[in-house]
Amino acid sequence: MSNQSSGIFNWVNDRLPIKNTYERHLSKHPVPKKVNFWYLFGALALVVLIIQIVSGIWLMFGYENTEEGAFASVEYIMRDVDYGWVVRYMHTTGASMFFAVVYLHMFRGLMYGSYHKPRELVWIFGMTIYLVMMAEGFLGYVLPYGQMSYWGAQVIISLFGAIPFIGESLELWVRGDYYISGATISRFFALHVVALPLILIALVFMHLVALHEVGAGNPEGVDIEKYVDEDGVPLDSVPFFPYKILNALVAIGIFGIVFSIIMFFFPEGGGYMLELANFEEANPLSTPDHIAPVWYYSPYYAMLRAIPDKLGGLIVMGAAIAILFVVPWLDRSKAASIRYKGNLSKIAMVIFVLSWLMLAWLGTMPVTALRTTLSQIGTVFYFLFFLLMPIYTSIEKSKPVPDRL
Amino acid sequence: MEEKLNTRRKVLIGMTAAVGAAGVPFAAVPFLSAWNPSAKAKAVGAPVKVDISKIQVGQKIQVAWRKQPVFVIRHSPEALENLSKIEEKLDDPRSINVDEPYRDINPTRSTSKEFTVIAGVCTHLGCSPKYYPEMEPQPWDEAWIGGFFCPCHGSMFDIVGRVFKAVPAPTNLKVPPHNFKGNILTIGEDQEII
Amino acid sequence: MKKIVIISILLFSSYGALSAESAPCGDYGECEKFSPQLENLESLQLGAVTFLNNCYGCHSLQYSRWNRVAKDLEIPEEIFSSNLVYGQTVKLGNRMTGSMDKATAESWFGIAPPDLTLVTRLHGSDWVYTYLKTFYEDASKPYGVNNMVYPGAAMPNVLAFMQGQQILSCKDIPLLASNGGVKRDELGNDLTEEKCGYLKTISGSGSLTESEFDEVIYNLVNFMTYVGEPSRADRERIGWYVILFFIIFTSFSYLLFREYQKDYH
Repeated sequence: MSNQSSGIFNWVNDRLPIKNTYERHLSKHPVPKKVNFWYLFGALALVVLIIQIVSGIWLMFGYENTEEGAFASVEYIMRDVDYGWVVRYMHTTGASMFFAVVYLHMFRGLMYGSYHKPRELVWIFGMTIYLVMMAEGFLGYVLPYGQMSYWGAQVIISLFGAIPFIGESLELWVRGDYYISGATISRFFALHVVALPLILIALVFMHLVALHEVGAGNPEGVDIEKYVDEDGVPLDSVPFFPYKILNALVAIGIFGIVFSIIMFFFPEGGGYMLELANFEEANPLSTPDHIAPVWYYSPYYAMLRAIPDKLGGLIVMGAAIAILFVVPWLDRSKAASIRYKGNLSKIAMVIFVLSWLMLAWLGTMPVTALRTTLSQIGTVFYFLFFLLMPIYTSIEKSKPVPDRL
Repeated sequence: MEEKLNTRRKVLIGMTAAVGAAGVPFAAVPFLSAWNPSAKAKAVGAPVKVDISKIQVGQKIQVAWRKQPVFVIRHSPEALENLSKIEEKLDDPRSINVDEPYRDINPTRSTSKEFTVIAGVCTHLGCSPKYYPEMEPQPWDEAWIGGFFCPCHGSMFDIVGRVFKAVPAPTNLKVPPHNFKGNILTIGEDQEII
Repeated sequence: MKKIVIISILLFSSYGALSAESAPCGDYGECEKFSPQLENLESLQLGAVTFLNNCYGCHSLQYSRWNRVAKDLEIPEEIFSSNLVYGQTVKLGNRMTGSMDKATAESWFGIAPPDLTLVTRLHGSDWVYTYLKTFYEDASKPYGVNNMVYPGAAMPNVLAFMQGQQILSCKDIPLLASNGGVKRDELGNDLTEEKCGYLKTISGSGSLTESEFDEVIYNLVNFMTYVGEPSRADRERIGWYVILFFIIFTSFSYLLFREYQKDYH
């Protein structure tokens, strides 16, 4: 029997590189032996991606992409479908958790210089994933067609109107109607469930292939490829299987605890994950008192509001994301990790994090004059962190990076 | 020492795997249950009421229950008497092989002495059989004694839905749960709710 | 560091400014706290009765189904359909779409009474609870009543017969000195000033006492909280098991991780 099955396996393996791929990317893939918890969010992001795909498919069974039916169909899923609420809360919690783990994953990258040579492409693919995720999240938020879906989409689509000359006709073209109607929802639906997920999966694949080509980094910024054994395996690495899969299992367990606490006890996330105004069906004739984005967009929304000019706001918001793409070329430091960088980098990092958090908070708040000023200050600090990076990373003195982990 | 170490590893691997595996069926429950008929489907599929006083003797009417055809036929006493005489033509005259809710109560197979209530869905592959009540030669049967003929694959049933021998359909047509209250026939449940 | 301090002071002060800019319960200020008891079937049943008798005439619960309410509240279907369901043509599997025609309603009230299925999720149960208790007599309004939480509400106070007449009144409250203590005159008497805008019920004018009325409103809002999310009790019950599962899973995988870590640490 075992002979027979290994015969079948060999037959397939001669025609499809199962064994090679499995060994190269899983069982024998070398991973730095000393990494900390910050290195687990990538794996968790993959887990959430799977959660979102599965729960998303299940939501599609009950969702209706029409102006008349969309809102009611979400309540239909919540009430009439057996355990529909599990699927729906899984998807809404998953959306927030996706951004949470991706933000932590990105912050890890900034902190430990994961974008340093030779990992620039890994970073760029990652940033593209983030960009697509933002679009995906936005499109998904419009689908329930509640008040917040409607007015949030109204605000974001109006941004296209800021583009000179073509703006207004572009807005109309995106909506396919004079307001956000069934025509808009059905195209957003198709993009949300088919087009963008396909792109997302392709990008995740590229992100991982590029990562496995250059190998994972570590919190010390040590190049483990320098010291290898006779088989070319880095001395400071352990194979992914069985060692690193166990880190991932523990991470998934803890993540599961956090995820279920939110999903089963705080699915609305205090109004930051599911906004309360979205429990009312869209009414194109009446704006809610207070329009705020869900928490994961709020830093950029705060920047948008901080600029007293429509086109300017759009440009600043776009630039805030775009500038992340070029970080590998802004950082001139010899050391990748913040541990061996100079004090200037450390101070800059602290100010950056504080201004990001402040912007995130301001983005969810109603506008006051003071808050607008604070948003402006936060925006300036956000950009200074990146724009001054070539200067402070080259003038400061970094500590020598050790040879071994 | 080495061996002790390995035992500990094996036990821990076993426990972790067991806990993980135990979670899988529970995780599958919501996803599998979500495919059940929803409350909306159940509401649409609720029992239907039919006024049977207008049905002529020998007439068949079609009612939709759960969007499936249900035939209600009012038989003449002669037709009912004939039922016992044709039993050698039938595969399962007493409905032994099907889940018959009202077996051996009336020759009509229903809870009424006069009306037959059967699902109009062929037990072969789900087409809806046609009603040919007259006793006259038909293209598919020279000695046709009246009953149902399925146009899809040629299965034949008598006027109360019992299957003929040597046809593709394996069993008699199903009898849905129903009850009669005066002139009101309720299809879909046994007991009348007040 | 200095900057951080300044920023946090600014943030803090702006937080203070926020509470002044819009109170969650309108003129009433902070809402009264409401904590639902979704396992308390008696409360839910009484709330359902109050809703169907007093609210359902105008307000629908269009995403909720009759038989789901009967099942979750454990009301036998016969009792439910003969006593609570509006109209004999209603099937128990139907949604509770209301008994009033939208156009008629609009001509009566100016706007169609909103559907209330999700009102506790939209405004919060605290808000609904406070709203229902803060109607007061105001002859300038078309229905003779106004509401503190939602001034100008186009809705008559249908529960007035239970609560009785509620009016806005004034009362003397102690003046506070800048140090937080009560101001006194030379003779040691507390200084007071008259402040208005307090709700006062004229006792004996309604069929229920104040605490009985509070209980009626509690049960009603408890029911409305249930209708807002009928699976909430299930959700919280199942949640504990899922969390417990992940705790056990994490413990074992952590032990396993520590065991294998010995190989390279």
